[in-house]
Amino acid sequence: MFLNLTVVGAVSGVILAGVFHVADPLIQANKEKELKEAIFVVLPEAKDYKIIEKTIGQETFKVYEGLDANGTPVGLAFKADGGGFQGNVGVMVGLNLDYLKLKGIKILDQVETPGLGNRISEPAFEEQFKGIEITPKVEYIKNRKPEKPNQIQAITGATISSSAVVSNINRAVEKVLKEFPKDEVGRLEKEIRPASATAREKGAEHGGK
Amino acid sequence: MAENNGNTYSLWHEFKKGLWQDIPPFRLVLGTCPTLAVTNSVKNGIAMGLATLFVLLGSNIIISAVRKYVAPQVRIAAYVVIIALLVTVADMFLAAKFPPISKALGPYVPLIVVNCIILGRAEAFAQKNPIIPSIMDALGIGLGFTMSLATMGSIRELLGFGSILQFKVLGSWFEPWIVMILPAGAFLVFGSLIALVNYISSRKAEGA
Amino acid sequence: MDKTLEKTEIKTAPEGGEGAAGAERLIVSSSPHFLDAESIPKIMHTVVMALVPAMAASVYFFGWRALLLILVCVGACMLTEWAFQKYRKKPIKVYDGSAIITGILLALTLPPGFPIFGAILGSVFAIGIGKQLFGGIGFNIFNPALLGRAFLMATYPVLMTTWLEPRTVAKAVDAVSAATPLAMMKFEAKFAPLADLFFGNVSGSLGETSVVAILIGGLYLRYKGYINWKLPLGYLGSMAAFSAIFWFVNPAKYPSPAFHIFAGGAMLGAWFMVTDMVTSPTTALGQWIFAIVGGIIAVIIRLFGGLPEGVMYSILFMNAFVPLINKHTRPRVFGGSLKAQG
Repeated sequence: MFLNLTVVGAVSGVILAGVFHVADPLIQANKEKELKEAIFVVLPEAKDYKIIEKTIGQETFKVYEGLDANGTPVGLAFKADGGGFQGNVGVMVGLNLDYLKLKGIKILDQVETPGLGNRISEPAFEEQFKGIEITPKVEYIKNRKPEKPNQIQAITGATISSSAVVSNINRAVEKVLKEFPKDEVGRLEKEIRPASATAREKGAEHGGK
Repeated sequence: MAENNGNTYSLWHEFKKGLWQDIPPFRLVLGTCPTLAVTNSVKNGIAMGLATLFVLLGSNIIISAVRKYVAPQVRIAAYVVIIALLVTVADMFLAAKFPPISKALGPYVPLIVVNCIILGRAEAFAQKNPIIPSIMDALGIGLGFTMSLATMGSIRELLGFGSILQFKVLGSWFEPWIVMILPAGAFLVFGSLIALVNYISSRKAEGA
Repeated sequence: MDKTLEKTEIKTAPEGGEGAAGAERLIVSSSPHFLDAESIPKIMHTVVMALVPAMAASVYFFGWRALLLILVCVGACMLTEWAFQKYRKKPIKVYDGSAIITGILLALTLPPGFPIFGAILGSVFAIGIGKQLFGGIGFNIFNPALLGRAFLMATYPVLMTTWLEPRTVAKAVDAVSAATPLAMMKFEAKFAPLADLFFGNVSGSLGETSVVAILIGGLYLRYKGYINWKLPLGYLGSMAAFSAIFWFVNPAKYPSPAFHIFAGGAMLGAWFMVTDMVTSPTTALGQWIFAIVGGIIAVIIRLFGGLPEGVMYSILFMNAFVPLINKHTRPRVFGGSLKAQG
């Protein structure tokens, strides 16, 4: 009787391995495409990127360095996560290479209230972060036009979601400033992997199968 | 349930019962988790319904085919392995081919594994019947489930966004009911639909 | 809401009476005694009278639109009640006044600029889902007016949190949008002056801004004997006591107890919603538990929750526990065993 359970398990395992073999490259490509698009939104000049990693204790910090068509660095992009009104608010943040201003942000994941908190995903809100100064930190103000270069205007009625975006950005920026100081970035380039090259590799891999 | 002899009438019956008489979320009150969780738009509802239909069809066929070879003591374990296989395939397929839908449905595709409808049909029907009636059973129940989710989705999307399948139906005069896209709206619509289905069947019973 | 019941209950069901409180209520409400039949219009009149100061304050601060909202809510509530009773072939008892009071209370919890269709939707939900689906008067678990407001809060979150500066509605078409004192406390750490809160010269829902107007009504009801003093006292007292702890620790960050009980819906909730006899416990101990825990929850939501105001959810939350509280605080029958009370 255990024989037929074993057979069922073994057959299932083989089928699954086959499906995984076909599906996994596609899934990875989808994820990478999504990531790439987000990076290119927050670093508008970027045409390519490479990954910079640093492991401290158990944690691995990862930032993406955007490269323009000539391969010159144009800025850093990284993900900022943290709690919003109803769940995680994930933001892709683009930081200028001078480490003083943001180049742009894009909300990647959020489950905020439709029509209210989820308006943080609207371009009008995201656009505000272009050129915002990060020192001492990004701030939000309500019902008024921002006065200082480090301020953005919160969405009326969605202060909690707006403030979540701002504090996630601040936390992530602080971490990046600490772990990836300007002069260290070049040294830390652990893996140089321009996205276009990766795509070519993937294509070759597919053709080979 | 007696072995089905496969004549046309009873095959039709096996198919039809899933569409009204045993329609899963409203009459059997099975599969309520996806019914409540992913029906905030028609598209998500249909995608979830079809994913479940695929798993149900596959599990009914396989289980019906191997029903004479699996020892009764380990049948549930074997069924769960088969169902898990199909669910994983469905999940990977969606993630590979339809990433936005896969993202919208989130963990609810993997959770089809524990959807009572699948194991319920395996236990109640597929393990006692030949392949053809099992297919009809799966199609009926699966389509009934898809229909229910699409109905839930259309009500919630219409009231919550003013649209059906992302096509604006209600004009700008309509102020969307945000609650309908939130979990609370799922419960309200689900309760109302159960009441409606019961009301219609009680009217039918009176008429008969 | 339902002051008729409150009065009859005071007369017919002394606290801790042997019979289950629900059954007692059912009898009273479905076949009123002669005495009650005579006094129903009087009781309704009294409760509406008690709400007049709050309504007048709302019209004074927010203009005629406030009156329009009140009338719309009352009309929609009565119509819904009538339609349900008609359809279910039950005796039509729209004029027992409970629907009128639900309508007034719902209107008083809405923002002044709230659209009419939203007010109608909220009223239909309050009476239809909140009351009639449970079986009508005396069977509803949740306070119908608050349930209607909770539904509107989830349905139209933007409209429900768009406030107007008091006394500007009548003057300008594009009225100034303003933050409520609680929102200012939460998001900007600014505390409104107590005098403004007391008289109601702040933005907020129609009937919640003026503490003095609500107090007049509440004390009038208390004087008439329609309000059980334990409930408002327990609720406001526990809010004050609990918020005082944080205030003593850090007065710059946390507002004073007086601010808490004067701001937002605390007064309106404590005097007119916590005291709803149908949805509050019947035993003395139960009433203390209900009111005190409710007040603590309201302060927790205000200070640490995602929303600036917690009165509505605290009352609805405690409403859900009323059957449990009743069950466990029912006095023992003399000579009965402890176990038999389960």
